[in-house]
Amino acid sequence: MLDREGQALRAELIERFRRGVDAPFADDAFTALAKRIFAYQFERNAAYAAYCRRQGWLPEVIEHWSQIPAVPTAAFKELPLVSGDPGRAEAVFRTSGTTRGRERRGEHHILDLTLYHGSLLPNFAAYVLPDGAELPILSLVPSVEEMTDSSLAHMIDVLSDRLGSPGSRSFATVAAGIEYDALNEALRGHEADGQPVCLIGTAFAFVHWTDRLRERGERFRLPAGSRLVDTGGFKGRSREVTADALLATYEELLGIPADHVVNEYGMTELCSQFYDNVLRDRILTGSSRPRHKVPPPWVRTVAVDPETLEPVAPGEVGILRHHDLANLGSVAAVQTEDLGRETEDGGFVVLGRASGAPPRGCSIAMDLLVEAAGARRR
Amino acid sequence: MIVFDAWHLPGIEDSDLAGWNEWTYDDGRIRIRVPVLDPSALGRVTERLRAAREEALAGRPVADVVRAVDAVARRLGRSDDPHRAQAERLLPAVTGYSPPMIRLILDRMAADWRAGALDGLLRAEFRDPGVLDGFRDDGSTAGPEWREGGPGRGGAAGRAGGGVSGGRPAPRRVRAYGPELAVHLFSGNVPGVAVTSLIRALLVKASSLGKTASGEPVLPVLFARMLMEVDPALGECLAVTYWPGGSAALEDVAFGSADTVIVYGGEESVASVRARIPPGTRLVEHGPRLSFIAIGKEALGAAEAPGVADAAARATAVFDQQGCVSPHVVYIERGGEVEPRRFAALLARGMERLEEELPRGRIGPAEAARIRQVRGGAEFRALAGRDVEVHASDGTEYTVIYEADPEFTASCLNRVIWVKPLDALEDVVAHVEPFARYLQTVGLVAGSRRREALAERLGRIGASRITDLQGMPWPPPPWHHDGRGPLLELIRWADLEG
Repeated sequence: MLDREGQALRAELIERFRRGVDAPFADDAFTALAKRIFAYQFERNAAYAAYCRRQGWLPEVIEHWSQIPAVPTAAFKELPLVSGDPGRAEAVFRTSGTTRGRERRGEHHILDLTLYHGSLLPNFAAYVLPDGAELPILSLVPSVEEMTDSSLAHMIDVLSDRLGSPGSRSFATVAAGIEYDALNEALRGHEADGQPVCLIGTAFAFVHWTDRLRERGERFRLPAGSRLVDTGGFKGRSREVTADALLATYEELLGIPADHVVNEYGMTELCSQFYDNVLRDRILTGSSRPRHKVPPPWVRTVAVDPETLEPVAPGEVGILRHHDLANLGSVAAVQTEDLGRETEDGGFVVLGRASGAPPRGCSIAMDLLVEAAGARRR
Repeated sequence: MIVFDAWHLPGIEDSDLAGWNEWTYDDGRIRIRVPVLDPSALGRVTERLRAAREEALAGRPVADVVRAVDAVARRLGRSDDPHRAQAERLLPAVTGYSPPMIRLILDRMAADWRAGALDGLLRAEFRDPGVLDGFRDDGSTAGPEWREGGPGRGGAAGRAGGGVSGGRPAPRRVRAYGPELAVHLFSGNVPGVAVTSLIRALLVKASSLGKTASGEPVLPVLFARMLMEVDPALGECLAVTYWPGGSAALEDVAFGSADTVIVYGGEESVASVRARIPPGTRLVEHGPRLSFIAIGKEALGAAEAPGVADAAARATAVFDQQGCVSPHVVYIERGGEVEPRRFAALLARGMERLEEELPRGRIGPAEAARIRQVRGGAEFRALAGRDVEVHASDGTEYTVIYEADPEFTASCLNRVIWVKPLDALEDVVAHVEPFARYLQTVGLVAGSRRREALAERLGRIGASRITDLQGMPWPPPPWHHDGRGPLLELIRWADLEG
């Protein structure tokens, strides 16, 4: 729960979310709100304040949001980075466990879930449902009841509840992985009744599932308007699949064309997410700009030089830094180790993760889970 | 602009190649071309290597091989040699190491390939290196005195020695044969490792086919070309080229024609090669390794500690910490005049000074990003109240992390080093034991009796080299590389009894 001052800031943010992804949020207005949020966090988050002080950045000297010190994602593994009382968090999301020995999992304390939901829903609606479609959301991620600390499971639960039509459900369990038969049955049903669907899951889960479809010689022609949201990448896994190959597979085995496939880039440490432009472009303007991620107005993303931590020249590759105002209850400025390049419209392209870095997200956990389940069956 | 053809394939004309790929460096100023070979061309290469060995190497005295390699090494060690100049121009761009680092590595490696060093290696491995040229008395006898019916019961002459007379066993003579064709699969970007491997094979009279790593496709080719100039017949016994690791059609040909396969690389690539070599082919593995430093309080007097810290800094900085000999962690015993926390500051000062003399090379954005995260994690552990202190350059050049938690931490490398305190130096064994199968070099500084006792324990769990800090990055030529005899593991013996 947020304190009184936090609630006032929250109200302003909720108003921003309500205006949607097309409402302009000029840089000076963004800076003004970012500074107030920084001061708020500086006051309530002693570790973050000490980190900022050491770098000489105090709330009173900030002139532009980009000067606000960003916390490396690794810090979320070390202590609760919460601007308030961690004991009053409404949710704690954790990064997926990795195989790397005793490495700790990152934790994001969410003091106020309405901010999380407030950012999630208009953004998802704008980029995945720009036509206003009401679709059953069929998930390849285990349900939030099973994965209570997964931000992805939580997100899908909220999306299904608020934006999904009847028939939305999860087709995976922690114990058994993907429920192939139930999923196939549901999809055959929709093929027959003509109801388009929205499939959602980690890219890894989709790779496993489509591998299996191919093995069994099965394919679907899902009704027009069906779409697919995948999340995560493949770096560091034994089986690497290029994005293009995966798009071709979706088209071939599911009948979902590339412009109806939206990649989501999200991280446990952020309340906001990023989606590909392609479906929104296709439906609203008919254009086909190159695929890239678009931050909602309440988030700014910059690529910085890892040597200097200064923004790179336009078009150059750097590491992505996100300033997400929806992170009011934790830390707004987060420094990732994801490589990326900014695009001209304020968006960006993700180019991968630092090699050897423990991969973010549920993608790898889901994959391991499928592997483990497979091993048990053998 | 420089174009370098990164292959040495005797008998193969450019027209025999299926084409080549080009890698560019240094904003296009350096272009490295690697050939595209088809399996039949590679098959011709391996046949020719075997024939060349029969003709020029199998019957040649080992001293002759040493002389030829020495001539190459002498030239490589001279800054006015054109091949050396080319190495100095290409290697910084290709490997990412700074020019001073490349010069240092070339100097040290070239010294290890001189005649004196190679003779030392031969003598460390063979009581009489002449066993590589012919049967030699090895000082033992063909068998113990042994009589039919057992001791004390009399009986006929001992049977073990064939031509024994009067019950005395004859001397045994032995001969060492190297492989006819060794295939080497190199990895990584540390210059010299590949050439050392080729030289070892030459010393045991093996022809070699070397597959370079994409991180260092230059020096083995230069070495082969120089050998060709110094001794053309010997140069015919080497082929060096590149293909993408795991290319099944090419590797089937290579493995099928080799008696010995020598593989360097990560666990997965080593395992993949292991699964594919034909039965009966010898496999020599050099998988990933881990090294560290441990320093006893007796070496941490106020006067000597700065020197020790400088040596530790240098051991970390050489190869930008990417070598298997490079330390991940410096364990410091408490109770010396200079305490571990202070040692970390001294180490950082040493790292900073080395940035002038031996600058860290170029690293990619992903590696730099990793360093930022590692530092950030450590800084926030400190802010969370844990006993952690970070000393670092403004950029990512060096990072020293003092951390009281003694658990072994693998570094992300590129000059990121942990300093961890121990109540007793001997405690280090328990901390590294979980990684025992990867252990290689330990830079161990302690009083001599204690050092020997600790060496015994570290050796027992798997460390294969315990050395001082100055020597840490530079294993001497006869070192038991990963615990095995570098020449002995290539040869087979034949015994001539009686």
